[in-house]
Amino acid sequence: MSLALTALPPIAIRLPSTGEYPVKVGPAPGSQVQLSAARRKNLEFEPLSTTALILEDRPSNLPAKSVEEAMRHKQEYDEMVAGAKRRELKEAQKKKRRMKERFKQEDSIANAMVIWNNDVLPNWDCMRNTRRVRELWWQGLPPSVRGRVWSLAIGNELNITPELFEIFLSRAKERWKSFSETSSENETEDSGSLQADRESSLDLIKLDISRTFPSLFIFQKGGPYHDLLHSVLGAYTCYRPDVGYVQGMSFIAAVLILNLEEADAFIAFANLLNKPCQMAFFRVDHDLMLKYFAAFEVFFEENLPRLFNHFQINNLTPDLYLIDWIFTLYSKSLPLDVACRVWDVFCRDGEECLFRTGLGILRLYQEVLLQMDFIHMAQFLTRLPDDMAADNLFSCITATQMLSSNRKWGQVFSALMKDGSKEMANHSPAPRS
Amino acid sequence: MAKQYDVLFRLLLLGDSGVGKTCLLCRFTDNEFHPSHISTIGVDFKMKTLEIDGIKVRIQIWDTAGQERYQTITKQYYRRAQGIFLVYDITSERSFQHIMKWASDVDEYAPDNIQRILIGNKSDEEEKRQVATGQGNKLAKDYGMDFFETSASTNYNITESFTRLAEQVLAANKKDLDLLRASVTDELNLAALEEEEGITDGAAASQKGCWC
Repeated sequence: MSLALTALPPIAIRLPSTGEYPVKVGPAPGSQVQLSAARRKNLEFEPLSTTALILEDRPSNLPAKSVEEAMRHKQEYDEMVAGAKRRELKEAQKKKRRMKERFKQEDSIANAMVIWNNDVLPNWDCMRNTRRVRELWWQGLPPSVRGRVWSLAIGNELNITPELFEIFLSRAKERWKSFSETSSENETEDSGSLQADRESSLDLIKLDISRTFPSLFIFQKGGPYHDLLHSVLGAYTCYRPDVGYVQGMSFIAAVLILNLEEADAFIAFANLLNKPCQMAFFRVDHDLMLKYFAAFEVFFEENLPRLFNHFQINNLTPDLYLIDWIFTLYSKSLPLDVACRVWDVFCRDGEECLFRTGLGILRLYQEVLLQMDFIHMAQFLTRLPDDMAADNLFSCITATQMLSSNRKWGQVFSALMKDGSKEMANHSPAPRS
Repeated sequence: MAKQYDVLFRLLLLGDSGVGKTCLLCRFTDNEFHPSHISTIGVDFKMKTLEIDGIKVRIQIWDTAGQERYQTITKQYYRRAQGIFLVYDITSERSFQHIMKWASDVDEYAPDNIQRILIGNKSDEEEKRQVATGQGNKLAKDYGMDFFETSASTNYNITESFTRLAEQVLAANKKDLDLLRASVTDELNLAALEEEEGITDGAAASQKGCWC
């Protein structure tokens, strides 16, 4: 009804201007009461308080309405009320549909949860690759089993135990303590660049934690997950000093912390970063990264030739948008719920999924992007619309074929690795055979 | 159709993590300030159109991640820029000392006629100051740069510093600009002129497309 009410004022405002009929004296007060009573009878709904504004007599200091005008106002008013009722009905139907959809969704999540808990998880090794489980997996993991499935799928090649995590965590804590005690003296001294480097890495973790999902208000100082995130990242820099902390890691650790207990989050984090693609990126192995970009472009051209051409003309290279996407596994650029679904599939399909998702995003926004120039595309891709619906993205990912001349992602990538030097020189996709 | 701009060029923001590069940019383009901004990974983009001496100047600004590890990547972008902001934080001695490293990288990787400007950000945090204004002035003088202390938080010297760098880029490309003045219909794409050959024509043509 609110819609109708907001539409009322123009009529009310128009009333005083009816001075066109100054000579006509309004009907006697009694008949007016009758008239408005009659009007009310015609209305098939409870009058709201504001309807009185229209139906009541005009203030005595103003000339009365003519009958003609009163009728017109009545008609206009009735039309508005009818319109409002129609809208209200439509809105109610829409709401009902939405609720039904949601119930259905909740139902399917509940069903999926039962299947995951009773059938899949107890028989993980023999079921994970069955068609039924893979399909169920694609639909998105129920939040209650998500962490466990991620952990199992990522695995623990590194054989990290919770005890080992505790050891690296206490080492990290010692280091924070010693730095905070001596940092001011060491700052200007040349006491070894390694020390300064480590220190700046610890400082950077501190700085970045509050800049990780700032809109959620849970990782900032004083927030419930601040210390957890600090611990996981600190322990990792002690565990892998050769890699250290690299910006982007805080987002990955944060998503894991949202779904797993502290030690499990650390184990998943360390194993995830140990995968070849993640290692290449977090070590900023530029040559290797270029190989990934080149492989991406092979499938880009194959799937979206028009957009590929548009990007080339505008010199929009994949590094400009893929770096942000890959370093944070889409958790920074996609809405968090959508990102978690991408992670689900990433855990199922591995690195190929990351590049396929990228192509899915490009497909989803292809028509918009084709209308833009370089800077607008670059801006768009580094800040994707936050109303992106998971289902739309996933149907675009489904439509993306990871096949190029019968070669799969892995084959294209290793071909580039083998004799990539020639192709890398002109930074173009591999020629199709 | 009216031209959206006469000249197009790229500016790059460089400096350590957390000195406020993204905040400077957000203040300049959107007049917004968020004290705890999301970290920049790789590179982010913004643009704004200014009018300088009657010329409509469209500036693309590339905002880079500050961590040293990322420099392997971000160095690739230096050659695509016409102007560079070197930003430090007046409350961090370390970020000021690193300016020398940033500046030498710019010398190595950026085009010869690149224009640079030195920015000491967070000038509102006077009580935490570690770098005196004089130090900034001296360093800028040594490197032959202009110098501004700024505050994205209080919006101090933001437009001034962006406009100054834009003016310098315009002055450095005066020859091309005079050609532009002679013609009424064309626009000058400095960014595209600096790009690898082969794509220049395409980029210049497509920049004319109207995206509103």
